[in-house]
Order: sequence, then C-alpha cells, then structure tokens
Amino acid sequence: MATTTVDERPREASAPRAKRKESRYSFEARMMTPALLVLALLSIFPFVYLILMSLSAVGLIGGISLDFVGLDNWTRLFTDSAVGASWLRSVVYFILTVGLEMGLGIAIALLVHELVWGKNIALSLILMPMFMAPVIVGLLGRFLTDSTYGLYAWVLRETGLYSGDILGTTTAAFLAVTLMDVWQWTPLIALIVLAGLASVPGQILEAAKVDGATYLQRLRHIVLPTIAGVIIVALLIRSMDAIRYFDIITNTTNGGPADATKIVPIRLYETGFRFFDLGYAAAIGLSMLAVSILLANVFLRILKRRGLAR
Amino acid sequence: MKGGRIGTRVLLVVVLLWTVVPLAWMLISSFKPSDKLTASPPSLAFTPTLEHYRSLFGGANDIGGYIQNSLLAAGLSTIIAVALGCLAGYGLARSKFRGKDHLSFWIISTRMAPIAAVILPLFVIFRGAGLLGSTSGLVVAYLTFNLPFAIWIMNAFFADLPPSLEEAAMVDGASRWTAFRRIALPLVLPGIATTAVLCLVFSWNDYAFASTFSGPDSQTLPIAASQLVTQTEIDWGQLTAIGTIVVAPMIVVGLVVRRWLVTGLTLGAVTGE
Repeated sequence: MATTTVDERPREASAPRAKRKESRYSFEARMMTPALLVLALLSIFPFVYLILMSLSAVGLIGGISLDFVGLDNWTRLFTDSAVGASWLRSVVYFILTVGLEMGLGIAIALLVHELVWGKNIALSLILMPMFMAPVIVGLLGRFLTDSTYGLYAWVLRETGLYSGDILGTTTAAFLAVTLMDVWQWTPLIALIVLAGLASVPGQILEAAKVDGATYLQRLRHIVLPTIAGVIIVALLIRSMDAIRYFDIITNTTNGGPADATKIVPIRLYETGFRFFDLGYAAAIGLSMLAVSILLANVFLRILKRRGLAR
Repeated sequence: MKGGRIGTRVLLVVVLLWTVVPLAWMLISSFKPSDKLTASPPSLAFTPTLEHYRSLFGGANDIGGYIQNSLLAAGLSTIIAVALGCLAGYGLARSKFRGKDHLSFWIISTRMAPIAAVILPLFVIFRGAGLLGSTSGLVVAYLTFNLPFAIWIMNAFFADLPPSLEEAAMVDGASRWTAFRRIALPLVLPGIATTAVLCLVFSWNDYAFASTFSGPDSQTLPIAASQLVTQTEIDWGQLTAIGTIVVAPMIVVGLVVRRWLVTGLTLGAVTGE
C-alpha cells in the first residue's frame, strides 16, 4: 500500500490552490479504491445475483442452476397469506421491541444521568447485555424460562403471574422472545440518549428549577426538545438492526409454537435453507432489503439535516 | 427532593437487577453440579465445581478448535476491515465530489442489509466458489458488514479532525501519505480501537452466517454453543460455561472503549463525552 501511494511531491503543498485541489482528489480516490472495490464485489455482485435468483427456480443438485421463471416468485410473494402473516407478525414484533427499548432506554438514561455517585459503574453494568452474542441470549432465555427448572419461570409461578410452559404457548412465547430482545438492546438506547443528555444546557435547567418548574415540566420543555435529534438517531439505528437480526428467535422457538414467532427473516431462512426454495426466498429477501434501504435513506437525510453527514 | 432521591435509587436497583440477574445466573450456573442445575425450585445452595469447564476443554467435544476458528474468522475480518476502512474513511472525509452522497448512501445501505437477505446469494455464490465450510468464506461473509461499518465510522472520526494539522505538515514538506500516516492516523487511534472492537464483537457474536456457511473445520464458538442443544437433552452446565466463555471477553473489550462507543454505534451521528 505504502509504496503505491507515496508518490506525491513535497512541493505540491505550496502549489497554487487550484492545482492542489486537483491532485488532492486523486490521492483521496486512491485511498478509497481498495475498500470500494472489495465492497463492490461483496455487495453489488450478491445483490444482482439475488435479483436473478428471485426470477428463477434455483437448483443446487449437480452444480448450481438458475432456470428463468419470470415473475412467478413475485406473484407468489404477493398472494402468499403465510408470508403476509409473517410480515404482520414482524411489524408487531418490531413495534413492541423497538417501542419498549426506546421507552425504557430513555427512562434509564434519565435515571443514570441523575446519578452523582457510581454513574460509571452503573452504566458499565447496564451496558453488558449489548455485547452478548444473541445466540447466548436466546439459549440463556431458554434456560431461564424452562417450566421445570427455569429461574424466571419459577418466579412467575411463585408470584402467581404465569404457570404455563412459556416458550410452548403462543402468546407467552412471543412475549418472551420480545423481552429477550428488549433485555439485550435497551442498553444501546440508554447509552445513546445519555450522550445526548450531556448536551442539555445546565444553566437553563437551573434557571427553570429556580422559577419553580417541576421535574416533568423541565423534562417536557427543556430536556426532551434538546435531545429529540439524538432520540431519532437512536430510533433509526435500533430499527435498522432490529430488521437485521433473528438469532434470538432461531435459538429459542425457531418460529414456533404454531408459527407464533415466525417473523419474516425466520420464514426466509426456512424457505431457503430447509425447503431449499431459494428463488422464492430471494424474492422475500429483496422485499426485506427494500424496507431496510428505505430506513437507511431516512437515516442519511436526518444526518444531513443535522449537518453531520460528511 | 429527598423522596425523589430514594425513588431514583429504588428504580436504579430494579434496572440493575433486570440487567444483571440473567448474566449472574449464567455465571453461577456454570459452576453448579449437574444434578443441581435442573433441580426444581432453582437453588443457590451448592458446592461450586469446575466440571463443566473441564469437560469443555478436553474430552470428546473439546472447544479449543472452535475458539481458534472464532479468533481466526473474527480477527482476520476485523484486521482487513479496519485497514481498508482507515484508508477509505480518510479518503472520504477529505474529499468533496459530486455524488459523494450517493457513495455514502451505498456504503451505509450495505451495512444495513438484512442478514437473511445477504446469506441467500452468498450461500449460492460460495457453493459455486467452493468457499462453503472454510474459514476464508466466513472472513468474506463478515466483511459484508464489517467493511462498510469500518469505512463509515473511520470517515466520521477523520472528519472530526481539522485538516489544518495535515496541511501544516505538508507546508513543511510532508507528502499526503506522510501527513496521513504520521499526523492523522495517530490522532484517531481511539477511533481505530473502537472500530476494531465493534467489528470484533459483531463477527465474534455472529450466528446466522456461521451456522449456514461453516463446516466441521471452521465452526465458531456460537455454533458450538447451539450444538449443545439436542433433541433429547440440553447440557445446561456446559452451555452456561460456554456462554460465559463467549460473552466475557466481548464485555471486557467493549467496556474498554466505552468512551467512544456512542460515536461508533451511532455510526458517527452522535458524539460521546
């Protein structure tokens, strides 16, 4: 790398501005080239391939074969009520997980922000679940909710809240996988919002306090408006990742019981790798991709509006 | 006022319990004798044992190989992503050209692509290229999310750096490359560390790619964990032990770069302390 890029002449730095701009461009372009080439290979090629797959019947026996079937997979996608049900479930799962994570995350951030003593230790402890492999979160969740020896199942039974088989009952299983996701990702929201809280002007808060504004009034009229941008960033970051992952469900209910937790990525994976209906899975995948590209677009717009896109 | 303080403490205790109990339970269970693990009701009265850790290292299903595969796949993809990401991030931060927005958008949307949708074409391509079951296949798969992430984050860190420093060096006769290498790069070291840690965490924790692409010679730790779940029974002792092994190092490295995590995790949209 070094040998190919060190060919700028030192005197260039003092060259006229226009000339410097021009040579700058080429230096930057050369810096970006290796990464962009790799990224293009890793993204454009699979993307085009995914589109081709969605228009084909994909065979894996005796080498790979793509037999063009036109829009068959797509017409099937839009008439498949099972996939429709998965989308609906995904939307509910998404709203529940992301909604709870946002609400709890903001609350936890406000709580930790108030701390005078032990703030760092508290935050470190709160952040821990975020670094866990989702597989382990799922498997640990299974252990905790086992109806005979699970700690949480036992607590629920003893307190009279719930005594059934948690992961074996449709509604309970859905809530359980939701809460596992909430447990893992609420810390992320808390972390981001906490960073935003640092920018709330202290003097204004003090002044409001002196004037007799209650905590809730200060929250509503000073704190929340100041951190609104940060909250939206947190929401978008979390939303994009919420669509990406499905490890927790794979390792707990794997879509069951009775399809209760079969969100779109689980169905996609099953269609592709259990039934090997790869063409149809590709169509489902592209529809998911469309949603995430839409979200990325919104994210970038907000970044730009905040003057942060560079 | 006093009441508020007490309320805050009570709420904080609730939050800490909610967060820490599952992790603590995993750690404690990994030292429990097998018969106590499935006792009902769950109890904390037991003599600690290392039997589960011992059976993970050595015995029929030694996890040494899995650890090696995990380190290799996650480590290599991290190194490649960070190296290329530093170069491209700097180039992107210091350049102005038409279509830069489109380029940025393409990079970020690559990072945001749903894993299930990425696995599908990669599986067929890897199968054709003979990359299934190999560690290099996993490295490539992890680059699909680590590389765009590294470019984007390093771009954010470099953009925070005033170009005047490098310009001053260039007035003194340094080349562009020297200015980058000697001035800019050392100043974003925290950024590089954060990017590396997050890339490592993302790939070390991956399950979906590894479960689809890896074979007997390249299976990673999360796969070893999921394989302890069989139709007939689950060895919770080994499972909680392996869970602890998977999770502990990531929590440690993650907390080391805590100061810069916000910048990293919000893709540069929010800056921390």
